[in-house]
Amino acid sequence: MRQFGTIFKFELKSYLKNKIFVGVTVFLVAVIAVVMFFPSFIGGGAGEITVDSEDENVSAESSGTEGLMLFSAEGVDGAERYRTAFAEAFADYEVGETEDGEERIKERVASGEAECAFVLHSPTSYTYYVDNLSMYDANTEIADTVLGNMYQVQAMIEGGIPPEQVSEVLGVQIQGETENLGKDQMQNFFYTYIMIFALYMVILLYGQMVATNVATEKSSRAMELLITSAKPVSMMFGKVLSSCLAGFLQLVAVFGSAILFYNLNKAQWGDNYIIASLFDMPVSLLVYMLVFFVLGFLMYAFMFGAVGSTASKLEDINTSVMPITLLFVAGFIVVIFSMSGGDVDSLLMKICSYVPFTSPMAMFTRIAMSTVPAYAVAISIAILVVSVVAVGVLSAKIYRVGVLLYGTTPKLGGILKAIRKA
Amino acid sequence: MRLTLRNIFKSFGEKEVLKGISFSAESGRAFGLLGRNGAGKTTTIRILMDVFGADAGEVLLDGKPLNYKELRIGYLPEERGLYPKKKIIDQLTYFAELNGMKRQDAVKSVDGWLKRLGMSEHRNKRLDTLSKGNQQKIQLVTALAHNPQIVILDEPFSGLDPVNAMLLKDVVKEEIAKGKIVLFSSHQMNYIEEFCDRIAILNDGVAAIEGDIHEIKRNYVRDKLVVRSEAAEQIRRDLGDCCSAREDGGLLIQMASADDKREMMQRLAGQYDLDEIKVFEPSLNDIFVEYAGDQAKEAAV
Repeated sequence: MRQFGTIFKFELKSYLKNKIFVGVTVFLVAVIAVVMFFPSFIGGGAGEITVDSEDENVSAESSGTEGLMLFSAEGVDGAERYRTAFAEAFADYEVGETEDGEERIKERVASGEAECAFVLHSPTSYTYYVDNLSMYDANTEIADTVLGNMYQVQAMIEGGIPPEQVSEVLGVQIQGETENLGKDQMQNFFYTYIMIFALYMVILLYGQMVATNVATEKSSRAMELLITSAKPVSMMFGKVLSSCLAGFLQLVAVFGSAILFYNLNKAQWGDNYIIASLFDMPVSLLVYMLVFFVLGFLMYAFMFGAVGSTASKLEDINTSVMPITLLFVAGFIVVIFSMSGGDVDSLLMKICSYVPFTSPMAMFTRIAMSTVPAYAVAISIAILVVSVVAVGVLSAKIYRVGVLLYGTTPKLGGILKAIRKA
Repeated sequence: MRLTLRNIFKSFGEKEVLKGISFSAESGRAFGLLGRNGAGKTTTIRILMDVFGADAGEVLLDGKPLNYKELRIGYLPEERGLYPKKKIIDQLTYFAELNGMKRQDAVKSVDGWLKRLGMSEHRNKRLDTLSKGNQQKIQLVTALAHNPQIVILDEPFSGLDPVNAMLLKDVVKEEIAKGKIVLFSSHQMNYIEEFCDRIAILNDGVAAIEGDIHEIKRNYVRDKLVVRSEAAEQIRRDLGDCCSAREDGGLLIQMASADDKREMMQRLAGQYDLDEIKVFEPSLNDIFVEYAGDQAKEAAV
């Protein structure tokens, strides 16, 4: 136990004295400070600047700046009507009617003279020409709506319904109200996303650090002395727990300064929805965050440490840790996709929230964005705790065998065999 | 104190490294653990230090199993290495603490040793700023700072200049004089002969020979003669296979048995003009080659 304390202190001190560690933390805090004080700088305390209004400014400025949209409705009845409707619908564009043939239109779009072009073949069919289709291009959807509306109106009028009634029918307003009994995913999305991402970054970065740390000791042969001076279990737990505390301190510094700076500038941020939702997270969630952070961190740090001990050279580390990294990234992707899809209670997520390798992220996400029964949370945490202890002890055993093996990186089977014998 | 290893077996997978090693070392005297590369010295040391257990056999101190919680062992590994990027005082204190010292005592002891080895000025430097020989001295502190009862030194003299070698010799002699069990492992036989009273030569997983170094020499079969003569060529031609040339220009003559000594000496002295004739007294080097060499291995098979 005393050995553990000595190792823990020594390792923690080397984190806190590490210039890169300190530098990155200070940099992150500075970035957060700049972001948080930003409205105070530009607003001079007016308190009226919000991201929303900035957005409006941006869209106002960009109006009419999208460029030229060619429009051709040659041979379609009431071409003028369609042109007017398109000009209204695409206010951002300068809609110019053209009598050019399709080949010429294509050339003009391709050459960049025009942004895009709509060539109407009939009231219900068109071709959209564009040079480089953007991911966010919604022009065809707008065109579909415009043409669909015009077709419906036309059809109803032809069917004998008076025009006033037509607009009434089409413009009917539905009264609806939402009463949320669980959690508001929209509101929780941002901070859950940030927390999951922080979890992901910290675990991956520190896991790598633990692996590199062990491999460095091995390659510098300090291991020869360490292994004869301290018990492998003390070594492993000392290293991993100190890196856990270092990571935690870094998180506290970053999130703590964010919260502090936000509160200093609360008035300036006013009613900005995203920022307010970020700092409006319930305390219970912070506690869950802490629990899953610690357990998830330990889980992976032990595995990284064990893998680090089997590498003889620092260069081998990257390939050795690949399987663990992939496992972790896979879990992260599942969680992020479920979050973006809005379905955090899918079967896959439910399974992931019990599997110890993915549960820190998956269960945390479900707690944050959905309603999970208390017993499920308890089971998930219990599985995780047991797994962490098991992985910790196993990794210490791998460590003990691994650090004495030099040369080619041993295969998993070989290590397990050696552990059973040792 | 008496450290005894009794019938130690150890295999790694299919490979049997130790096949029943036994030897014992006493406090206040240095013990030489010899053997060729791969003979099992490091494995023996690691078992002794409880890095891993033996498959069979016992490690005893005064007849009782070692209590690793109370026993302090100092180790200078053959593969040197500490933290290159850390301050010397920090890492030396760290290792002393790991070996059971309290922080203040550790700092005090480390400072004492740095002074003794003339390294005090480097106390607050990073290890990788030091020359190789000085790094070696720093490494020595890790083996001695926690005042261990058993000191294991693996090739302690490699990489040291003559002045530092002298300093280390003095330190080792002091440690022996303090009544510690000092285990030496080296391929430099002159150092072993200088320090060690007892030796064990490991070969193919067993102690091929173990005991008092003088006794081993005395018990060495006295069936060889060393001859120095102007007529060396003639003698070689006449005696044929049982006669071989030595590096120092003399001849080594193998007799059928030690009992033939008198007759052989008289015969040679009568026949040739000799400068010198005597019974061959082996050096430790000769003994090592005989017991650790390949012939010994083949003979064992």
